[in-house]
Amino acid sequence: MTTTTREMHAWGKLRPARATVCTPAWPPAALPGPGPLLAYGLGRSYGDSCLLDGGTMIETRFLDRIRAFDPHTGLLRAEAGISLDAILRFCVPRGWFLPTTPGTALVTLGGAIANDVHGKNHHRSGCIGNHIPAFDLLRSDQPVQTCHAGDALHAATIGGLGLTGLITAAQIQLTPIRSAFLDVELIRFSGLDEFMALSAESAATWEHTVAWIDCIAGGASLGRGIFIRGNWSDRGALTLHRPARLSVPMDLPACTLNRFSVRAFNTLYYRRFCGKTKTLHQHYAPFFYPLDGVGQWNRIYGKRGFYQYQCVTPPAAGTGPMVQILKQIAASGQASFLAVLKTFGHVASPGLLSFPTPGITLALDFADRGARTRELFDRLDAIVRDAGGRLYPAKDARMRADDFPRFYPQLETFRNHLDPSFTSEFWKRMHPH
Amino acid sequence: MSAPTYQAAVFGATSSICQETLRAMLRQQPARLLLIGRNAGKLAAVADDLRCRGAECLTLTAPLADFATDWASLLPQHSANRPWDLFLLAHGTMPDQEQALADGNSLAEVLAVNFVSPAVIAAACGAILDRQGHGTLAVIGSVAGDRGRGSNFVYGSAKAGLDTFLAGMRHRFAKRQRIKIVTLKPGMTDSPMTAHLTKGPLFSSADRVGALAWQAIRAGTPVAYLPGWWKLVMTLIRWLPEMVLHRTRL
Repeated sequence: MTTTTREMHAWGKLRPARATVCTPAWPPAALPGPGPLLAYGLGRSYGDSCLLDGGTMIETRFLDRIRAFDPHTGLLRAEAGISLDAILRFCVPRGWFLPTTPGTALVTLGGAIANDVHGKNHHRSGCIGNHIPAFDLLRSDQPVQTCHAGDALHAATIGGLGLTGLITAAQIQLTPIRSAFLDVELIRFSGLDEFMALSAESAATWEHTVAWIDCIAGGASLGRGIFIRGNWSDRGALTLHRPARLSVPMDLPACTLNRFSVRAFNTLYYRRFCGKTKTLHQHYAPFFYPLDGVGQWNRIYGKRGFYQYQCVTPPAAGTGPMVQILKQIAASGQASFLAVLKTFGHVASPGLLSFPTPGITLALDFADRGARTRELFDRLDAIVRDAGGRLYPAKDARMRADDFPRFYPQLETFRNHLDPSFTSEFWKRMHPH
Repeated sequence: MSAPTYQAAVFGATSSICQETLRAMLRQQPARLLLIGRNAGKLAAVADDLRCRGAECLTLTAPLADFATDWASLLPQHSANRPWDLFLLAHGTMPDQEQALADGNSLAEVLAVNFVSPAVIAAACGAILDRQGHGTLAVIGSVAGDRGRGSNFVYGSAKAGLDTFLAGMRHRFAKRQRIKIVTLKPGMTDSPMTAHLTKGPLFSSADRVGALAWQAIRAGTPVAYLPGWWKLVMTLIRWLPEMVLHRTRL
């Protein structure tokens, strides 16, 4: 196994970690050394949950072999370093798709499990953890074991941030598709109440729903956006997506995204079609992965990097807290154009530390502007905390340590399943003493 | 389902460029593959992956640097009485050059694995192609063989020897139009073998290199740089006068 010492980055590029990196070409039978250890897939976690400074990071991306596939049931078993992108390249021509998918396919299967990723069909299908019947886990104190749905270690590992051991392989239940295209409707909405009505109306008849929201617009335009809903189409071939053709060649100057450029972009984007609605017959790539077409897009935020803030507020709290959050963000003028709003459904994930709970989730990027940005986050945290909501560790680089157990009531149960040799910068940050 | 009509024997099937080449092949057509390598467990993992992608796979565990194996008579035993469309030779190791220079045995082993063994196997495959009258022999060489450079000449000289050996075979079969000898020359490729190197813009993914390798094999390209722009880079490096080259740390 090749070992080297180098700087490792998360997607937000805020603080790199210097680690010993080992890159296995084959699923290992034993872990390298005593630790501390952490798996590293494609580095798409935004904050520091995928980093371990001064430890050994196990880079999994070459563990990418498919080990079994049943073309009748769509059950696929693969090594954990395979990317969702590679799974799609395999399964789409055969008439299958991922059971649910995050907004990028450039994550590994192991990473998707460790962060219990969700997608536009959460209200129907839950998280990816709902579709992982079993996986192989290598812990520091025992040989590789297979964990099945219902096992305590299965529940701890799904959304377990890679802290229960190294996932070496996993099964995933794919979903059948007849075409690689979706029938899509775009509907402009003017505020949060209209968004809620569209979500409620769409839940039963639309498999995929999400909204882009203009987080710069305040006042009468607060909460305006475009609701996007789609169903798999019967029309169209099983056409595969193309690899990225464009790439951001270098870090752009930090001032590229400012309140004026973002406001201009958002206004144009909000007005991108005439009338109130538009229907499309759209390929899955622009529908699910609009940014995968541009390599290294995280460079648009400049050298200092960026944060993503993703929270969920429960239905009991109503739309009040989300309105407050949007007002704070609009008043700060710091938001970027990448902002997403979605209602989570009631399908419960098996994961003890799984992020999605019923309610409204908002995710958006913020270039790092120092204290101003962190103070805004503190104000948003207070609203989320009071509403009984939570933040998403996979995106986080600055959550308060005392909020973590409040947000995740099953944390104490989870601790019983930690592998003592594994930790991460996120975990260390949540346990400062 | 009828048996695939395309048949290939692959030496060093566990190398990542080779796996990607076979995946690219299977995206276009099914195939019957004989996978040959040293480690049964790793071969089985590769065979699983390729089977899922539509191959019919057999595995054969063999020490590839054991020159006593008579491949010319062994391979037909696994051919299911059908001709071989492709022999793909992908084995080789990237050595620790300093260690090889300090220890004669280690140097000899590097040259054996990267030159002697593929040359011996290529000769045997050539004999089979000669009998069959058609088919392709494709061998993974390296851009490192194009010029001796201080940083990498042990590996480079083995690949240079292989390059010349294959050029000679190509000449020998020049009048046999249905026999193709293909020298594949990948440049720097992002794989577990190069995981310790800092990745610059010169690196290509194994996935891309594999897809291009399969294109070259299908087309019967005599010498294929992977990707093609390495041809330009290596031409420039070959033309550098020694005086200039010696000022660099290439």
